[in-house]
Amino acid sequence: MEHNIPAPEVDEELKWKARFLIVVVIALFLVLIFRLVHMQIFNGSYYESLARNNRIRIVSVKAPRGKILDRNAIVLADNRPTYNLMVIPEDISDVDQVAARLAGIIDSSVDEIIDIIQTGMSRPYDPVYLDKDISFDQVARIETDIFHLPGVSIEATTERDYVYKDLASHVLGFLGEVSKKELTAHRDAGYEINDLIGKGGIEMICENDLRGSKGIRVFEVDALGRKIKVLDERPAVPGRDSELTIDKQLQVIASDSLGSRVGAVVAINPSNGEILAMVSKPDFDPSMFLTPMAPEMWQQIIEDPLHPLENRAFRGQYPPGSIFKILIALAGLSTKTITPQDTFYCPGYYILGTKTFKCWKEAGHEDVNLHKAIEESCDVYFYNLGKQLGIDVISQYALYLGFGLATGIEFQDETTGLVPTRQWKVKRFGTPWMPGETVITSIGQGFTLVTPLQVAKAMSAVVNGGYLYEPRILKTSKPEFKRVSEFSPEDLAVVKEALRSVVEGEHGTAKRIKDPMFSIGGKTGTAQVARGYTSKLSDESDIPYKYRDHAWFFGFSPVEAPEILVVAVVEHGGHGSAIASPVVQDVIKGYYFLKGYANGKVRKDNR
Amino acid sequence: MQMGRYAKIIDNIDWGLLLSTMCILVIGLLCLYSATRVATTILFWKQLIWIGIGLLVMLMAFFVDYRFLLPLTWPIYLAVLLLLVIVFFLRPEISGARRWLSLGPIGVQPSELAKIMTVILVAYWGEQKKHILNFGLRELVQPFVILSIPVLLVLIEPDLGTAGIITLIAVSMLVLLGIKRSTLLSAGAFLVIALPFGWLSLKGYQRLRILSFLDPSRDPLGSGYHAMQSKIAVGSGSLIGKGFLDGTQTQLKFLPEHHTDFIFSVVAEEWGFVGSLILIVLFMLLITKIFSIGLKAKDRFGTLLCFGIAIYFSLHVFINIAMAIGIFPVVGVPLPFISYGGSFMLVNLFCIGLVLNISWRRFIF
Repeated sequence: MEHNIPAPEVDEELKWKARFLIVVVIALFLVLIFRLVHMQIFNGSYYESLARNNRIRIVSVKAPRGKILDRNAIVLADNRPTYNLMVIPEDISDVDQVAARLAGIIDSSVDEIIDIIQTGMSRPYDPVYLDKDISFDQVARIETDIFHLPGVSIEATTERDYVYKDLASHVLGFLGEVSKKELTAHRDAGYEINDLIGKGGIEMICENDLRGSKGIRVFEVDALGRKIKVLDERPAVPGRDSELTIDKQLQVIASDSLGSRVGAVVAINPSNGEILAMVSKPDFDPSMFLTPMAPEMWQQIIEDPLHPLENRAFRGQYPPGSIFKILIALAGLSTKTITPQDTFYCPGYYILGTKTFKCWKEAGHEDVNLHKAIEESCDVYFYNLGKQLGIDVISQYALYLGFGLATGIEFQDETTGLVPTRQWKVKRFGTPWMPGETVITSIGQGFTLVTPLQVAKAMSAVVNGGYLYEPRILKTSKPEFKRVSEFSPEDLAVVKEALRSVVEGEHGTAKRIKDPMFSIGGKTGTAQVARGYTSKLSDESDIPYKYRDHAWFFGFSPVEAPEILVVAVVEHGGHGSAIASPVVQDVIKGYYFLKGYANGKVRKDNR
Repeated sequence: MQMGRYAKIIDNIDWGLLLSTMCILVIGLLCLYSATRVATTILFWKQLIWIGIGLLVMLMAFFVDYRFLLPLTWPIYLAVLLLLVIVFFLRPEISGARRWLSLGPIGVQPSELAKIMTVILVAYWGEQKKHILNFGLRELVQPFVILSIPVLLVLIEPDLGTAGIITLIAVSMLVLLGIKRSTLLSAGAFLVIALPFGWLSLKGYQRLRILSFLDPSRDPLGSGYHAMQSKIAVGSGSLIGKGFLDGTQTQLKFLPEHHTDFIFSVVAEEWGFVGSLILIVLFMLLITKIFSIGLKAKDRFGTLLCFGIAIYFSLHVFINIAMAIGIFPVVGVPLPFISYGGSFMLVNLFCIGLVLNISWRRFIF
């Protein structure tokens, strides 16, 4: 047949090069074969022994997690050394004998130990934990017997220690085992199954600093799984500490003052946005999440109607109540709608169309100017002013003070509250904005929702001359602020003086917390939860808990140049002045107490 | 008359090529079974189905005149580009890279198609420019631009191994076609200058793999771990191996990816040097067969297709085995007919069908 074939068109040059390429390919394959001869024939027995005794063990070494410190370097979250008892099933030659020896030392029976080891046999080279966090005495007894316990080893590691249990638990957050989703999300970050990862609070937002990086130890073991020598080691790099702006002592005072009541306290330095204390109740002990939790218990926590895991300081959304009047007042002054001297007449009620809106004081305040309106928290004054401003101006000024927006604190999960607008109302309910809604918005009831942290941020700007600082809780964060240009220093001064008389004035709604030692200003607030159950109409204790009003108070001191501003909200606490103002008073007093103490020390030791 | 024609086909089939392909396929199935049975046998059955479909594709590639590909070259090119773009925009990442396109229950890897598309494209181009003996820079601009697009698309998936293979296929084929000495020299010089920039554009884990190849102790748990465990598997196979299903490294899962990129270690561990040698010799037979069919093809297009396919197989086999025995960095290059993977299997069997076609058609006027 060959004679039938036409001469191929392939040119000689191409042919010549192709033949050369064949030689190159064959040469390359010969290299592979030579290498295989070298590995499999000459060094075969070496690799064979490596494989047979599978003597190379690679263990990752956990990095100690960075600590979380308060502003004075007091450790809030530490690491505690712990010892875990583990076995590598493949290395156990006599399971019964090992189980019998261990049963005398740990709290498991022989059968239980055998059971765990047998289960681990499906992946015989992966270590199995027999017991975690064993005592030092148990460690000593196992170590002395270790020669008779092939395959058994003690893992020295550390466990997170939340030194003050539930103190500042919402701020610190907690750790939990890394989930499948997180494993894929941070694939390049080197997480492994069973690793702990920050799931909330500082533990989460500072995860990358706190975790450090794992080390690796490669070692050779004998046929019984005992270490012979370390072949390679890369030490773990400890995590970096996180320093907070929180003052642990002040945190204790705030937490104790709120006690077992549900609510939140935020203490902030109004001149730079540093958070000095942040309490949310009910709280929890973060250490309970360190070990896998029974599903029922987890269920119980997340179904708890009081939501103990929520940080109410920046996730709790409440109607602002009378605290909102400060904003209305500033809007009135800034838009020149009123002057400080202008008065409205308060007969104890306000009529709009067919509706009557009551003042909290049924007898009325008679002629009221701005100062008196704030000092005595006259509702009618603000009904009138709010009506004149209109909802568009009110919502605009609410946005100027940061309501309806994230505060910018380092935590990623804050809620933004709600500043209602005409467009919002139509979108949400399909009905237009009603004038009556403007009226109740003016006294902080209605649709408006704010978080305690938003109040702290906004009120700081009111008392510090109009500088809106982003609250921050990490010492390393830089202060970020902007001047709210709408507010003139004169207007702010007028409002501030009125806030002072809330506490120090003769008719102030919070005069009970007046202090002879230092000046305090502030404003009470009562956020209605349900209409019809207004607490002023009946004795508070007659109202079911869930219908009771939320009590607000914000206070700052000293009035002239505020160093501390405290916001407290007590859920279903009733009247702000009676319930929330003493909490703020405690924190302010505590602040001065701690400051005096610290200053005295500094002066003695350093100057 | 018809009968006579088919008798001729049977006479003129390159049985050597077909037989070595079948032998490698059988070895591949045995290894895949051994590598995956502990975890799941699904992959084995899936691979069997892929081989079935692949054989049909091969038959198709065998019967339709390969010159039919000439007018299809640009449509194929555009279709592959489209798939590469789709895969980038539509698919979520699987283990760090967007490589897969899902068509119902089947996953397609467009980057596998890009390799064979490159072979066809360069062969087509060589056919078009057969009057030119040696190409200068001016002539090379066109193929350079046309091929950069798929290479870049594969690079950003990111799939360094495939991008490298595509580039190497294209460059080797162009060198075969003939490039002016001055052009070669300046291209070489350019490469030396461009290398540092290429290094900077690699992803962290890609750099790590190359570094840990140069110094395995850098990363004993990561890519160095693959290389180390693979070497132990291969070396411990010794002369005759540990026996089918008895490879401890394989069965105890010391070896990651042992059904895809590290499957050669399974061969070497369970069948020893003897088995590895047989497999390598089979591949050498297959590749030299394809080359020699290329030398005898009746037209330049057929010749270039064969050379391209031979280069395609040579690169895969060499890089994959070299990686498994620790003389090449860990890059994701699978072993033809052996590694698990549907798109790859189809493309490989298509190539064999094409070569058989070229071999057979030289007897047809």
